[in-house]
Amino acid sequence: MSLSNGAILPATLASGTVKKVIEINKFLLGTMAGGAADCQYWETYLGIQCRLHELRNRERISVAAASKYLSNLVYSYKGMGLSMGTMICGWDKTGPALFYVDSDGTRLKGDLFSVGSGSTFAYGVLDQGYHWDLSDEDAQELGRRSIYAAGHRDAFSGNTINLYHVREAGWEFIGNYDVTKMHYDGPGDVPGAPVGGYGYDVRIKTV
Amino acid sequence: MEAISHAGTVLGVLAADGVVLAAEKKVTGKLLDLSVTKEGGYGGSGEKIYLLTNNVVVGVAGLTADANSLVNYARTAAQRHLFTFNEDIPVEQLAQRLCDLKQGYTQYGGLRPFGVSLLYAGWDPYYQFQLYLSDPSGNYSGWKATCIGANNGTAQSLLKQEYKEDIKVEDAIALVMKVMSKTMDSTTLGSEKLEFATLTLDAETKKPRAKIYRPTEVDALLLKHGLAKKEDAEMK
Amino acid sequence: MEVSFALTGKDYVIIAADQNAARSIIKMKGDEDKIKALGSHLLMAYSGEPGDTIQFAEYVERNLRLQQMRNNHPLRPQAAASWVRRSIADSLRSRNSYSVNILLGGYDMAENTPKLYWMDYLGTQSDVPYAAHGYGSYFALSLLDREVQKRLVISFPSFRVKVVDAEGVREVDVDMSV
Repeated sequence: MSLSNGAILPATLASGTVKKVIEINKFLLGTMAGGAADCQYWETYLGIQCRLHELRNRERISVAAASKYLSNLVYSYKGMGLSMGTMICGWDKTGPALFYVDSDGTRLKGDLFSVGSGSTFAYGVLDQGYHWDLSDEDAQELGRRSIYAAGHRDAFSGNTINLYHVREAGWEFIGNYDVTKMHYDGPGDVPGAPVGGYGYDVRIKTV
Repeated sequence: MEAISHAGTVLGVLAADGVVLAAEKKVTGKLLDLSVTKEGGYGGSGEKIYLLTNNVVVGVAGLTADANSLVNYARTAAQRHLFTFNEDIPVEQLAQRLCDLKQGYTQYGGLRPFGVSLLYAGWDPYYQFQLYLSDPSGNYSGWKATCIGANNGTAQSLLKQEYKEDIKVEDAIALVMKVMSKTMDSTTLGSEKLEFATLTLDAETKKPRAKIYRPTEVDALLLKHGLAKKEDAEMK
Repeated sequence: MEVSFALTGKDYVIIAADQNAARSIIKMKGDEDKIKALGSHLLMAYSGEPGDTIQFAEYVERNLRLQQMRNNHPLRPQAAASWVRRSIADSLRSRNSYSVNILLGGYDMAENTPKLYWMDYLGTQSDVPYAAHGYGSYFALSLLDREVQKRLVISFPSFRVKVVDAEGVREVDVDMSV
């Protein structure tokens, strides 16, 4: 998940039919890593609390506050077996914001994070391609390419990628991409993406 | 409160280099056994002036039994602060602890408030020497010189006339003696009717030093200020 | 792999802490502030168990603030250190303990002296002229002869450095090139 050009671009992979990006509300997204049930349950719960905040205070909760709420919540369960590694991102009065929150109780503000078993592979691609002034298309492609790398190299990641883009008006679902298809044929007719497959073997035409 | 206006006068004067407390003991009689209290403990006869902690001495006016309870509470509160913060409790905070307790008894039904007013003489590194007064309602205030108990109006106006800014402890002692002798009903002063204490800084360690005068020391002090009663010899 | 240092001078305390936030082999952040200003003349560097560190630091921050509001003056460094130590010690024997190591530096306005306290997660406290936590502590003496960067196996690219003296707390820039 990277933050660029005043927009946040989360890219995560879906395993089977489970959506790994949780739509907390129109302006907030949360990602899933670790215990799927824990993430799903508590991020949905977070969505309820965010809505209540909105009703009580007549304004949307900030990303900082929402992530802090989740962080405090999981910290109160520390040592009891919760397993969550999540990124909370969205857009508020301060602009785009991204936080990393995990079940240790760690909460970090940043503009580039990657979480999960394949995160190292994603970091490799993300770090080399990241700029502050990335265009929307290039940012989306970088996210896609990063998660592809994770899906390809990591035995525990794969299947499909869900891509979201957060802007001032809220998040937008960009698309779902099959990792295997991306390997051989590429993501298809998508702005920012190169023609052809991402796979190394595909590119050197050994297949 | 009624009990307090009849209680023995307690006087406090804040000086630049210390605080002085004096208290009048109301009930005495020839038959009261003072053999233990005469030279007992850390000084004083333990009726009106108490050491709460290293840096705070109080004088009490009102119901003695209530006062004992408050003194015990204050001493515990002071030790609790020492335990948590490893420093002597600041004077105002100690007064606050007591006032929080006192206030509680004015609020909840079925309980009788503490019939006690206190004068606190103390020192802490935040505000140096301080003198506080607290009443049964739980109000407290800081003073340069003040008084509680019987005839406190007379004493107060005397103090107002005589008090000078930047007064030194020695002069404060003299002032307290003078006001006390004029305020007390009896014509003569003696250790059986007076308790006395000072709080100063030790010249060497710069730590507060509370001194509650023993009866013999009170008599010596009275003698020094020419206020001792004539028949002093025959009492002994 | 966290490191923090502190030392007292004649009329100041200086505290430095690394800025890394790592999870296993991944460095997730390189500009994390691990030194909190707990008052106008008090600084605290914290390290240890992820989660516990920030939760405990914020707990301390808010409690000291509350006490300052109630008493109209901040706690002196010595009293603050005693309170922090007590909090760690009490939590150690509770169901959930804070595994946090602390360097607490402050300027005592009552006595006009700089103060530094070293504390570990077990509740050990000592009043020291200079101190360190983490692997950097093995080089604490070298700290004084500026050999840290040269000798430390993990050479951190940058440190956040804060000073507290009679003027209060402030952040300083330090040229890390040796």
